Amino acid sequence: MAKTYDYLLKLLLIGDSGVGKTSILFRFSEDAFNISFISTIGIDFKIRTIDLDGKKVKLQIWDTAGQERFRTITTAYYRGSMGIMLVYDVTNEKSFENIKNWIRNIEENASADVEKMILGNKCDLDSKRQVSKERGEQLAIEYQIKFVETSAKDSLNVEYAFFTLARDIKAKMEKKQEASNPAPRSGAHQLRANEQQRKPTSWLSRCSLL
Amino acid sequence: MNHQSKGNKYVCPNDRQLSLRAKLRTGWSAARSEPPLTPSERDAIAAVVKRAEKLEEVEAKRIGRLVARLEGMRRSAQGPAPRTCLLCGETARLLAPLRTCAICRNSACPKCVIDTPPHRSPLSREQYMCNLCAETREMWKKSGAWFFKSLPKYVLPERRTTGRYTDSELSRTLQDGGNSSNEGKTDSEPGSPLSIHAPTFSRQASSIERRSISSPHDTHYEWSETDILSHGFSGLSLHRTDSLNQRPLAGLKRTGSKGSAYSLRSIRKDMPKPNNQIERPPTIPDAGFGTLEIKLAYDNATSSLAVTVLRARGLIGMDMTGLSDPFCRLEVLPREGTYSNRLRTKTVHKTKNPEFNETVHFFGITESDLTVKSIEIVLFDDDKYGCDEMGSATVALRECAKSPAQLRLALSVSSGSEPTGPRILLALCYNTKKRALVVIVCRGAELPPRDSNGYSDPFVKLHLDPDPYHKKHKTSIKWRNLNPVWNEEFCFETRPTELSRQNLTLTVWDKDYGKPNDFLGSLILGATSKGRRLKHWMDCIKFPDHRHEQWHSLTDTQHL
Ligand SMILES: Nc1nc2c(ncn2[C@@H]2O[C@H](COP(=O)(O)OP(=O)(O)OP(=O)(O)O)[C@@H](O)[C@H]2O)c(=O)[nH]1
Ligand SMILES: [Mg+2]
Ligand SMILES: [Zn+2]
Ligand SMILES: [Zn+2]
Repeated sequence: MAKTYDYLLKLLLIGDSGVGKTSILFRFSEDAFNISFISTIGIDFKIRTIDLDGKKVKLQIWDTAGQERFRTITTAYYRGSMGIMLVYDVTNEKSFENIKNWIRNIEENASADVEKMILGNKCDLDSKRQVSKERGEQLAIEYQIKFVETSAKDSLNVEYAFFTLARDIKAKMEKKQEASNPAPRSGAHQLRANEQQRKPTSWLSRCSLL
Repeated sequence: MNHQSKGNKYVCPNDRQLSLRAKLRTGWSAARSEPPLTPSERDAIAAVVKRAEKLEEVEAKRIGRLVARLEGMRRSAQGPAPRTCLLCGETARLLAPLRTCAICRNSACPKCVIDTPPHRSPLSREQYMCNLCAETREMWKKSGAWFFKSLPKYVLPERRTTGRYTDSELSRTLQDGGNSSNEGKTDSEPGSPLSIHAPTFSRQASSIERRSISSPHDTHYEWSETDILSHGFSGLSLHRTDSLNQRPLAGLKRTGSKGSAYSLRSIRKDMPKPNNQIERPPTIPDAGFGTLEIKLAYDNATSSLAVTVLRARGLIGMDMTGLSDPFCRLEVLPREGTYSNRLRTKTVHKTKNPEFNETVHFFGITESDLTVKSIEIVLFDDDKYGCDEMGSATVALRECAKSPAQLRLALSVSSGSEPTGPRILLALCYNTKKRALVVIVCRGAELPPRDSNGYSDPFVKLHLDPDPYHKKHKTSIKWRNLNPVWNEEFCFETRPTELSRQNLTLTVWDKDYGKPNDFLGSLILGATSKGRRLKHWMDCIKFPDHRHEQWHSLTDTQHL
């Protein structure tokens, strides 16, 4: 029997080229780090199965190229994503400013239900820092998105980030499921409960079964 | 691979996207002047997409198992009866009083219910959920349907008649197929003059099996919903047999001469029951969409390419009986400029194994084109309410550069093929409490302009047919809008058993004063629909109390 899992969650990493998306994913999936920079071509993905509250959750994490020239391809992957990591580089002011653009890109292309998280990566490089942690937090509050500073190199908060995003998605799922209870809803176009019409109901019409 | 089409999934890209894009600062993703990909980049991306497709197949099988499990529970349930458990049939006892399910309101014994979390409903007295309702919800979560708003693609597990193809074996085949090249696969097919081309999963094994089996039998393996129906809902099964028997004889004759369709029916009739233990060829756990045989011949004297579409085998079934009306669309890619050179074959009706035997010619193909261009063949199901894609294959023209080539291609479907052009987003939900079909007309997109100002003033009329209550509904009018958002909800009293005999008809109109309203498009959903329309309808019946949302193309003919 193939290794099975309870849920498949599809995540996506976006952000400017060189901020460390691939490195973060490499740290999370292989627990390794590579100092050399090989810019991602188009798209890639990695798989890791994690345990969340006793459930096996398979994460399919899409890594996108930050380079503008792959934008058409990469945006095509927004729509199927349940969670998106927005990554900037704390040593690169421009990549931080661009987070707003990336968020617009999400609004434009992703499902409205998508969970988001902002990562300020390379926080190990304190001497070269251009973006303070406070500014990251401020931005996150502005957009009401969770935020954490990470280092793919020192393996700081990478696990935490993915687990948090996965947990948030799972929580949203549970909440949706509760909300989908067929409790009577009020609305303008509601059907009037037509009591006389209610015939002795058959088994088929009654239960949520076939 | 279809990156672009995925981007359109579930959303109307037009106004919103454009206005958002306009708001972007210039220079950032606003200017989309992306240089074309180099061949090696394209290959790298294609390899990733292929890897993802493998994963999708595994996922489709997992969801299929969830669906099958639920179906199994449904079948073995006793059904509601006074003072007995709906699931196990146990009668009420003093120490084990029956509980009422908060969802379906049937009674079930304590062993067959679960306590719903207390935070859920502090006001409600109903604290229990029957195992069936609980399992339905579980499936909704585990399949990802909660997010995608409809059940994702799934493949039902085979019914085990022989132990030859087990799940694990398949997944091993999938893995093994992982990195090997297509050439490798061609070699691994002994004794066949044909070759299989990308994309391949476990195709080669199954194709061999298929060929060695007597042809009528291979129709036993069907895709998703039709398979479910064969052992699902009694009302539907009935309907299905009816429609088989009532099929006009003319239709039988025509397809009969071609073999499969006719023999399929006669075999089915002879079979006492679908779930009887009859000696049956192994149903193949086939993740694919069938195969297509073609011949390519290039004539450099006339610079023409002759493509003969011979036949297809094992296509997916698009209608209730598991048959389709396939035709092929052929195109040489990449296109030059905006000039599109598409050709199509005739339609072969009511079959999964069409014999096309038709040759089409492309002119103006140079010898250098042969080295860089390829031909794409897409199979569609011919339906007046919108032709759904059933699979496609692409072959490099260099295959026939030296000599004519006969090829067998594995078909695949780009997962994100959402309709384009004039379309409508509908949500359906059968509400078991209200005993009504709730239809939410969400939005329209790319509606045709009918007024001189370049817009239309669209509204939607909808009714069920037949409907004992003769309910007719209308949305509001959205003035000057080709991408209207309605989000209006309408109810039709009906029962699930009735739904399988009813059709939902929608027509979209442009409001005009002083003259008749202009017709903008129509859509019919019902058990007699095909493809994605059938799936939407059946999902709504099979999974009540859930919102099923889907885009549908509008047809410009008024069938009423
Ligand atoms: N010091 C330090 N360097 C890092 C860290 N993360 C990534 N890098 C380096 O930053 C460079 C770029 O990292 P990538 O992960 O390839 O960047 P990317 O975001 O995937 O870039 P594109 O694929 O072009 O979009 C590499 O040289 C990495 O070694 C980090 O946390 N700390
Ligand atoms: Mg990268
Ligand atoms: Zn019971
Ligand atoms: Zn129930």
